[in-house]
Amino acid sequence: MNGWTGQILRVDLTTQTFKIETFSEDFAHKWIGGRGFAAKILYDELKPGIDPLGPDNKLIVAVGPIAGIPAPNTGKAVVAAKSPITGGYGDGNLGTRITEHLRKCGYDALIVEGRAEHPTMLYIEDSKVEFLPAGEVWGKGTYETNDWIYAKYGKGVGVLNIGQGGENLVRYAVIRSLEGRAGGRPGMGAVMGSKRLKAIVAKGTKPIPQADPAGMKKLGHDDLKKVHEIDKQSGWSIQSTTGVLAWCNEVAALPVRNFRKTHHPDAWKVDGERLNNARIATYGCPNCTMRCGITIHDDAGRESELDYENVGLLGPNLEIFDLPQVGALNYMCDDYGIDTMSGGCVLSFYADAVDHGATAGDIKFGDAEGFKKVLTAIALRQGEVGNLLAEGSLRAAKKIGQGSEAYAMQVKGLEVAAYNCKFIPGMALAFGVSPIGAHHKESWVITFELKQTSRESYGPEKAQKVIDLQRIRGGLFEYIVSCRFPWIELGWGLENYPKYFNAVSGLNWTLDDFWTVSDRVYAMIKLFWLREYRQTDRKLDYPPAVWFDPANVDTEGPIAGKHLEYDKYDGLLQHYYDIRGYDRRGIPTRATLERLGLAAEATAAEKFGSLT
Amino acid sequence: MMITVKLIGPFVNQLGFSEKEMEIAPPSTVDGLLALVGIDKSRPRIVTRNGRAVAPGEEVHEGDRIVISPIYSGG
Repeated sequence: MNGWTGQILRVDLTTQTFKIETFSEDFAHKWIGGRGFAAKILYDELKPGIDPLGPDNKLIVAVGPIAGIPAPNTGKAVVAAKSPITGGYGDGNLGTRITEHLRKCGYDALIVEGRAEHPTMLYIEDSKVEFLPAGEVWGKGTYETNDWIYAKYGKGVGVLNIGQGGENLVRYAVIRSLEGRAGGRPGMGAVMGSKRLKAIVAKGTKPIPQADPAGMKKLGHDDLKKVHEIDKQSGWSIQSTTGVLAWCNEVAALPVRNFRKTHHPDAWKVDGERLNNARIATYGCPNCTMRCGITIHDDAGRESELDYENVGLLGPNLEIFDLPQVGALNYMCDDYGIDTMSGGCVLSFYADAVDHGATAGDIKFGDAEGFKKVLTAIALRQGEVGNLLAEGSLRAAKKIGQGSEAYAMQVKGLEVAAYNCKFIPGMALAFGVSPIGAHHKESWVITFELKQTSRESYGPEKAQKVIDLQRIRGGLFEYIVSCRFPWIELGWGLENYPKYFNAVSGLNWTLDDFWTVSDRVYAMIKLFWLREYRQTDRKLDYPPAVWFDPANVDTEGPIAGKHLEYDKYDGLLQHYYDIRGYDRRGIPTRATLERLGLAAEATAAEKFGSLT
Repeated sequence: MMITVKLIGPFVNQLGFSEKEMEIAPPSTVDGLLALVGIDKSRPRIVTRNGRAVAPGEEVHEGDRIVISPIYSGG
C-alpha cells in the first residue's frame, strides 16, 4: 500500500508486550493518518467514561502519508488521547524526528496502552521494541531527559518525552521533543505520565513506501527551496509568529491582565521587533525551511525559544513586559513540560482571582518572580495552590467559586490561545467550536473579520469562514500531518498538498476529496464528545463569559464600550451548526453522519445518546 | 496634517522604520499614504486607522494613527 506502511505498533506497558497490526486500504483512505487515525482509534477502542489518567486510556502517536518525507513542512506528528483537562477528545501536533523514524520503523501509528509498574522508556528500532528503565530521569526536566537520551542513542533519533508536569499529572502537561518543540495541549503529557512513560525513542532504517519515490524526492526538495525563497522575500521569519503581537495590540485583540484589557502601552517592549533584536538562535522542526523558533537568553542566561502564543500569554497577559522574564517563564514551562498557553492562562486566572478577592494570595500581575514560584508549585504539585492550579483554570474556578468561572479563560476546560475576543465574534466562535477545547490551530479568522467583513457582524459568512479554515487547518494539515505555516504565512498553494499525497500514494485525489475527510474527522470527534458528555448542549461551544460582560468593556480604544452579545453569538453558533449539518446541540445529524460514511458509527453512537 | 504611521512585522525592516509621525498634504487617501511610505502595491496587507480596518480609498485625517501590517494568519 503506497503512501502508508500499513502497520500500527501496539504496546502494552502493563504486560510489557507489543504486537504489530495491519490496517486496510479502506481505513487508510477514510482516515488518512494523524488526527484521522487517532480520532477513529480512540472512538472505537476506548470505553465510555474511562479515567483519562487511568490505565484504560490510550496514547496515540500518529503520522500521515507525507509525514517524514522531505517536503514542506512534514516533520510533525500528532499525539492524542482522551483528554484529562476536557474529558473529551484531545490531541496536538509537534515537530519531531520521531515522525520520520516511526515511519522508517514501519509504522504509521503507535498505540500505547496500560500503565508501567516503574518509570519506563519505550525504545523502538525497526522491528525491535524494548521497555527500558527510566527511573534515572524520572523527576527530571525535559532538557535533561533529552540530553540523557541523546547521550545513549545520539542526536539523530526521534524522541518524545515529558517533564515533571506530565509525571505529576498536571492536566495541561504537554509532550516535548527536539528541545524546543511541544504538543498535546489538552494534557497529552499527563496521559504519558499516568502511564509512567517518561520517553519514547525511535530509530528506523526502512524505506517509506511511496508510489513515486524519485518524483516525490525531486518535488519535495524543489518545493523546500521555493518555500525558503518565499520566506526570504517576504521577510516573514524576521519576526515569525511574534509579528502579530504588535498588530493585536493595535486592533485591541491582545490578552492583557487575564484578558481584562485588549491593549497596553508597554506591549512594544515584548513585540516581534524587540524579540528579533534579542535573538541568539533560531530553531525549527525537521523538513522546515522557514524556521519560526526565535530563541533568546532568559533572565538566567538559558536559551528560551519563543513564539507569539507564549509571549502573549506569559507576557502581557500577566502584565510582564520584560522579554528575559517572559523567556524565563517560557523556559520553565518547557522544562517542566507544561503547556505555555494554558500555563499562562492559569497563572493569569489565579492573579485575577486574588485581585478580585475570590481567593487569598499575594500574587500580583506583573510579579514575574511570584509567577515563577507558582509555576514551580504547579509542576511539582506543591501545596494547596500548586495542586489547585495543576487542575486547570475551570476546575480551579469551580473550587474557588465567587463567580470566578466567568473569567477562567477556557472552552470545554482547555484554555484559550492569545487572542482576546472581547469583541471579535468570529474568532470567539472559532474557539467555541474547536473540537479539542479552545485552540487557535483549528481556525483563525481575525484578519478576515476586520478586512473582509465587519467586526460587528455575527453573520453566516463568519461561520462559513470558520468551517473553511477548520477543513484546512484542523482537517488536512492534522491528518496528512504537515505544518500549516507555509500555506497560512507564506501563501504556499494548497494545491501542492494533493500533489505530494498523490506522489506517495499513487492516487489521484483533489482538494475536494480531502474536505470530505475533514468533515468526517470533525464529525467523528463530535461523536466522541457525545459519548463522554451525554447531556451535551450548545453551551459547551460558548466562549468565556467575561467576553460577554458589559462590566468588562474597554473604556477607551478601538472597541470601547463593546462586548460580545449572547443572543447574537448563539445565532452565529446556529449558522455554524446549520452549515455543518449538526443539530441544535451541536451534534451531527444521522443524515450528516451517513453522508460522511459514518453510518456504523452513528448506530454505535445511539447506544449512548440520541441522534437527530 | 500630522499623522502617525506604524509598521508591523517585516515592513519595519523593509522600509527602515517602525513608527513615525508624518506630515502629509490633505486630502490624502490610504492608498496615497501607502505609496508615499513605499509599500509595494502587490504586497498583501491590512491597514487600520485608529484600530479599525480601512479600505484603500478612504481618507486619512489629522491625528490618525495608521497601522500597516502584513496579513497574519494566527500561527
